[in-house]
Amino acid sequence: MVAASAAALFAAVLGLEGPVPPVRAAEASVACGVTGPPEYYSFPLVSTKRVPGSGQATGLGELTFAPSPFGFALSPEGNYRYRVSLTVDRLAPPATGVYVVWVTTPSLDRIELAGAFDDRHAMDVEVDFNKFLVVITLEDAYDPEAAVWSGPIVLRGMSRSGMMHTMAGHGPFEQENCAAYGY
Amino acid sequence: MRPTVTDRARRGRFPIIGFLATLALTVPAGAAAQGDMAHGDTLSGGWRMPPMNPAMPVLPGLGGAVPPVAAFLPGVGVDLSSLPEAQPSSVVEMADGDTLDVTISLVRREILGRDYAMYGYNGQYPGPLIRADRGSTFVVRVTNEIELPSTVHWHGVRIDNRFDGVPGVTQDPIGTGESFTYEVRVPDAGMFWYHPHTREDVQQDLGLYGNLLVSSPDPGYFGPAHREEVMVLDDILMDDQGMIPWGLEAPTHALMGRFGTVMLVNGLTDYRLEVRRGEVVRFYLTNVANTRTFNLRFPGARMKIVASDMGKFEREEWVGSVPIAPAERYVVDVRFDRAGETTILNSIQAVDHFRGEFYPQVDTLGTVSVSEELAETMVSRGFETLRENADVQADINGFRKHFDRPPDHELEATLRVRNLPLSIVRTMEIDTLYVPPMEWNDAMPMMNWLSTGTQVTWILRDRATGDENGDIDWTFDVGDVVKIRIFNNPDAFHPMHHPIHVHGQRYLVLERDGVPNPNLVWKDTAVVPVGSTVDILVEMSNPGEWMMHCHIAEHLHAGMMLSFEVRGEAN
Repeated sequence: MVAASAAALFAAVLGLEGPVPPVRAAEASVACGVTGPPEYYSFPLVSTKRVPGSGQATGLGELTFAPSPFGFALSPEGNYRYRVSLTVDRLAPPATGVYVVWVTTPSLDRIELAGAFDDRHAMDVEVDFNKFLVVITLEDAYDPEAAVWSGPIVLRGMSRSGMMHTMAGHGPFEQENCAAYGY
Repeated sequence: MRPTVTDRARRGRFPIIGFLATLALTVPAGAAAQGDMAHGDTLSGGWRMPPMNPAMPVLPGLGGAVPPVAAFLPGVGVDLSSLPEAQPSSVVEMADGDTLDVTISLVRREILGRDYAMYGYNGQYPGPLIRADRGSTFVVRVTNEIELPSTVHWHGVRIDNRFDGVPGVTQDPIGTGESFTYEVRVPDAGMFWYHPHTREDVQQDLGLYGNLLVSSPDPGYFGPAHREEVMVLDDILMDDQGMIPWGLEAPTHALMGRFGTVMLVNGLTDYRLEVRRGEVVRFYLTNVANTRTFNLRFPGARMKIVASDMGKFEREEWVGSVPIAPAERYVVDVRFDRAGETTILNSIQAVDHFRGEFYPQVDTLGTVSVSEELAETMVSRGFETLRENADVQADINGFRKHFDRPPDHELEATLRVRNLPLSIVRTMEIDTLYVPPMEWNDAMPMMNWLSTGTQVTWILRDRATGDENGDIDWTFDVGDVVKIRIFNNPDAFHPMHHPIHVHGQRYLVLERDGVPNPNLVWKDTAVVPVGSTVDILVEMSNPGEWMMHCHIAEHLHAGMMLSFEVRGEAN
């Protein structure tokens, strides 16, 4: 009962109308016991089903911060610096050519070649775009000088940050004219 | 004077409740801001809405809304011209056994050409820079002359518990006209700081902060540098008519903390430094802002990270910028190789939630003027070496056996809200499609301003028991090494990063999201980003009743704190 009275005093001091029932252990988030990349920022890699042997493929991008003495990593300009761990399952080896990984901004104005997928279909990529797409393509050969892909897209995924979009026309701003804001 | 705490029995198993009882401001009648701000934009109750991007529409139904608490400004009714003009910080060298008298008082400060009533320690901004040798003990007699009760917390110092400055836990608040005497023992070298622990969202914001620099007896503790400079980073919320009032009964800005609109370095809007070409300057950085995390950079200059809160890193590293959260300290060596003027910047990627976009935001914090004259070259060359700190590694080696064991306690950071306007709730629900790991700017000034400590409860929840904040009841013994896992739940109503501060002890950040920390340093405050799981290892070396809390001032005063006891005698 000591805890209950403490909670009541806590609520009273904070100006609440009454004690707010705490969530007990069994109701609390179940994610706490796991350490690893935050599930919240993970994103799926989705097959285009355009390339033979990739129709059943599924993949995942998982974000942790790049190494930094500060606990989270930033570029001098303030962009997050992520280490993105990519893994793909049920992707058949290419009959010819090589799978190549690219990272790009959503508007495709900046495209970076990340490298060729190894046989494990796994790769770590460092990214300092705040919103980004991961694109895996099938290329005839790996060209480290390539500026953009030329083969078909096998899988693609979008960072969680890509889900942040304008509120114009949505929710409490549903009466706002999207066009007035350039959308 | 020995510290006393009235009604100790009231504290029982939950001493932090005593602290909570001190949160609401107790001020004389008339101290509230009503009637003090007779201008066109004044809303009901003396409120004025903080500046916001004019391109962003006001939330429907919230036009004219004000926080459900009274507005507070300091020194209401006081003739500004009668207040002493605040002076820049002075350096006070404290030898073992010395005594310093500190008065907390109203001062007159000019910011951007306008005078304000603010607070100062000994009439200074920041407060006096206290310098002491590691291992010494000095005395500080504090007298409070402002209208609010106050205390002094010696942030990061493994101080005798009686002098930790937590009202209701280690001492009674120092009322107006009252005094309290602190004995400050400094067992660690490093840059520490002092500030109130009563409504610091108000008092600290108004100027009550100062540094305590504790030197190592080892003359080679740091590498070579030509000089040392202190930079205290802060911001303050103003519009073209002056300071936006603070909440009287509870803080405003409870969701994200009170972001300022004017950047301050050492209390100045025009910080300047003159150096010679090739000069290596050791900067001691402290972030005293309520909630803003800075990303500090010196464009065109080379910089290496040397130390943090409570000592040196295991090894020095080159860095391009210094992200520094509230209450953190970093020590960086910077070499200025190019003659001319360079600006000190805060460079962030801000978020525009309405447009759903990141955008670059750059604030100029100050200017460094680099002369053509060459600095002494031996020191400049010594800067090229990145030092491995064997003394730090040897100290930490004694704790490595604890690194891989399961956590002793697991905390979850989250929040509850009640009675927020519906349009805020609806907007937040959409907004959580994506929440950034860190909040760098006040992307929703009106919603944030309207949320108060009466509507928002920030929570540290013990995963094993479900206990929250003041109900958490941890007890340790001196000599225990305790692993605490902190998970910042991204599925909360409005998740946000938290700089977590542990009083009276030191800790290592072992790993983040399963990735081991390759370069350890003793900390007292470290950030837990949204969605992240951070393991810290706390050395329980200092007996007493201590706090652990988020150092975003508004989160602290919206409940995000716990206390723990360390039993036994000090080593």
